[in-house]
Amino acid sequence: MKPKVFVTGMGAVSAIGTNVAEHLHALRMGKSGIGKAKYFVSKYTESLLFGEVPFTNEELKIRNGVEEKVDFSRTTLLAIQAFREAVQDADLSAEQISNSRTGFISSSTVGGMCNTDELYSDANLSGEPSHYLRSYESSDHTLRILKLFQMKGLSDTINTACSSSANAIYLGARLIQSGRADRVIVGGTDSLAKYTVNGFNSLMILSDEACQPFDVNRKGLNLGEGAAYLVLESEAICKGKKRYAEVTGFGNSNDAFHPSATSEDARGPKLAIQRALKEAKLKPEDIDYINAHGTGTLNNDTTETHAFSQLFAEVPPYNSTKSYTGHTLAASGGLEAVFSILSLVNNELYPSLRCDNPIQEYASKPIAEFSKKKIRNVLSNSFGFGGNCTSLIFSACI
Amino acid sequence: MYIKDCFAISPQRTFDDQFEKGHVEIHEEKVYSAIEPNYAEFIPAGLLRRMGKAVRMGIGAAMPLLKRNGQPEGIIIGTANGGLENCIQFLNQIVEYDEGVLTPTHFVQSTPNALAGQLALMTENTGYNNTHINGSLAFENALLDADMYLENLDYPSTLLVGAVEEISEYNYNIDLLADRYKQERVSNDHLLASQTPGTVCGEGSTMFIIGNEKENSIAEIVDFEQINFLEIEKLNATLAAFLQKNQLSIDAIDLVLLGKNGDNRFDNWYETLENNLLKNNRIGYYKPYVGEYRTSSAFAVYYAVQLLNGKCKNDTLQPDEYSKSPKTVLLYNHFEGLRHSIILIKK
Amino acid sequence: MTKEEVTLEFKTHLIQYLNLLDVSVDQIKDDEPLFGGDLGLDSIDSVELIVLLDREYGIKIKNPADGRQILVDVNTIVDYIEANRTK
Repeated sequence: MKPKVFVTGMGAVSAIGTNVAEHLHALRMGKSGIGKAKYFVSKYTESLLFGEVPFTNEELKIRNGVEEKVDFSRTTLLAIQAFREAVQDADLSAEQISNSRTGFISSSTVGGMCNTDELYSDANLSGEPSHYLRSYESSDHTLRILKLFQMKGLSDTINTACSSSANAIYLGARLIQSGRADRVIVGGTDSLAKYTVNGFNSLMILSDEACQPFDVNRKGLNLGEGAAYLVLESEAICKGKKRYAEVTGFGNSNDAFHPSATSEDARGPKLAIQRALKEAKLKPEDIDYINAHGTGTLNNDTTETHAFSQLFAEVPPYNSTKSYTGHTLAASGGLEAVFSILSLVNNELYPSLRCDNPIQEYASKPIAEFSKKKIRNVLSNSFGFGGNCTSLIFSACI
Repeated sequence: MYIKDCFAISPQRTFDDQFEKGHVEIHEEKVYSAIEPNYAEFIPAGLLRRMGKAVRMGIGAAMPLLKRNGQPEGIIIGTANGGLENCIQFLNQIVEYDEGVLTPTHFVQSTPNALAGQLALMTENTGYNNTHINGSLAFENALLDADMYLENLDYPSTLLVGAVEEISEYNYNIDLLADRYKQERVSNDHLLASQTPGTVCGEGSTMFIIGNEKENSIAEIVDFEQINFLEIEKLNATLAAFLQKNQLSIDAIDLVLLGKNGDNRFDNWYETLENNLLKNNRIGYYKPYVGEYRTSSAFAVYYAVQLLNGKCKNDTLQPDEYSKSPKTVLLYNHFEGLRHSIILIKK
Repeated sequence: MTKEEVTLEFKTHLIQYLNLLDVSVDQIKDDEPLFGGDLGLDSIDSVELIVLLDREYGIKIKNPADGRQILVDVNTIVDYIEANRTK
């Protein structure tokens, strides 16, 4: 019998909060964090809106007691912030964190590339080497955290674009189920970077207004930044501890259609959802709420709602919390897992913001306003570039 | 886990049978570049035109395997850096055009999961798909992912598991500034004797078809382990404990392949093993063939598989001649004393 | 520049920007649809073409939807270049 996997701690930082409680408040108030960037430097801060974490790097360093670390990128700082909250929330001692049966699986797409100017200079050998010379790799933040917390267990860093931290959660659950770890801290981090802004802009999928997922007039996505980690523990070691939710289902697939767009029939998303349901031994009608990928691009929102209409006889309530935080890339799977669990634990549904004219093709519409509802099972979707599709299911603890 | 098949594109003639026959390429440039086959045979021009070297090599190494073995259930790739050359091309555009109108291809191709995505696309593989980027443990993480996937199945199945790393101006310059490479040119046949700091940058892609059935397999991956932050004093004991866990004594290991790379600041890790636990073992080294890159342990596994199957004999780069093919091979590698990997393979 | 010269110049840029490895200028027919035809171009290529028009000819196409009207075949593009180039 595979051990059950429970979520016993959560940590999150994004445009709508520096900790999980602040995120819950913003969701309940329907308060978006998307707006003009204050600290991020790029030509595009004039014309585009972002979901920026409202702290400078210096402030993040002070908050997390790492002022002297000159080579910690913003990606690393956000990760540390969320990681510390998660392990504290799960009431883990230093020994438990560093134990060889505690794993750490993180993810990032940007890594240290947020220091775009230094990267350009170092990569082209112009000028003196920068502080960040050894920090550019996306797995650098993982190593930094392992070192800070003296972690000896299994570690990994994943990059499957927008589904990265969902895959980290998936992998962590399997490590516990297979007996290779008793506890795994899972999630991801990404910060705003000229590299990604310019990359997404070159694909012409950014909106110059606050994104409107599932709205007929949606123009694209807003980039965001943030980090989120969950502490997953096997049922044997978390007896008597508070448990937020059980990780009951996970499914992954590749859409195999196009490097940066989903197929019309949404075969990748459908397969991921079906595999997650199968793993959880649930039927579509058992899902009470869906936290959609919902980026606000023309392609995603059409294909995702198409997938819903095909799989669910009656589509459960769904929203896009990217309407609050923007698209936080690698962190999105983790952040949205936190939001899914908040809905589950509190039996609440939060509105999908700025969806004034929902897509007409299908009968289902995103959640329009706050309400209370008994929630037993949540489906959370993350679909990334390269066709990578991952769905997770979190269930109420019995 | 069982290896059914493998293929490598590397600085050696691994894409045809020359490397297997014992022919060794000598490299004298400042980096050891891969020798690439003609890709036109299995990559349509329309796709090839967009591919950076990492993606090209990855697909070039995977396609022959997929042709020979049919559709695997999933694709798992380990790559520390992905398509770095595309990355720097996009980065340069950002600066040169001052964040103006930019072309998307370089951006899309630079993402590390572009290879896994492209492979899925080209073969219409809608199965499990993942990309691990955990530095010098990225390939080991891919193996772990594969192991967990396969052990859950109650029917025979296979996965495509592999790794890729490319040399680009970007990673070369950054690693050079970080003192990872030698200042002087050293040919690969003198790499390990060089006695200077730094190593030489290499590249390549190695792919495996890995399954859960022993039948028709060419090697077995018995066990593997990753360790972060080990102390050098504990290395011998750690390796001994790994063997003990697998009910083996060090004498049972026919060959130990070490990731020695000619960097005199870090090769002491290997020397402490050679002088202690491994003092009576036959030892081989794989980095002289391919240089140093984060996922070179994938090539080490490939090389071990060749040796286990009677190939690559009489090659002049190894200290001991392979008069008898090994039946058990132990691999150990580390990166700057930070990340360590142990892999045990047998016939 | 004559229309022939502009056409030749555009086709050369096309091959370069899209890295069309084994296609020569003579092989690109002026009236053959670029998308859905033999060249096998897709949506990422359409964005690349928009960049080409901006960088080489100073023509800005803000909306990809407008791009689809113009980027039909070599003839339509060359006509558009001649009418709108600022470089």
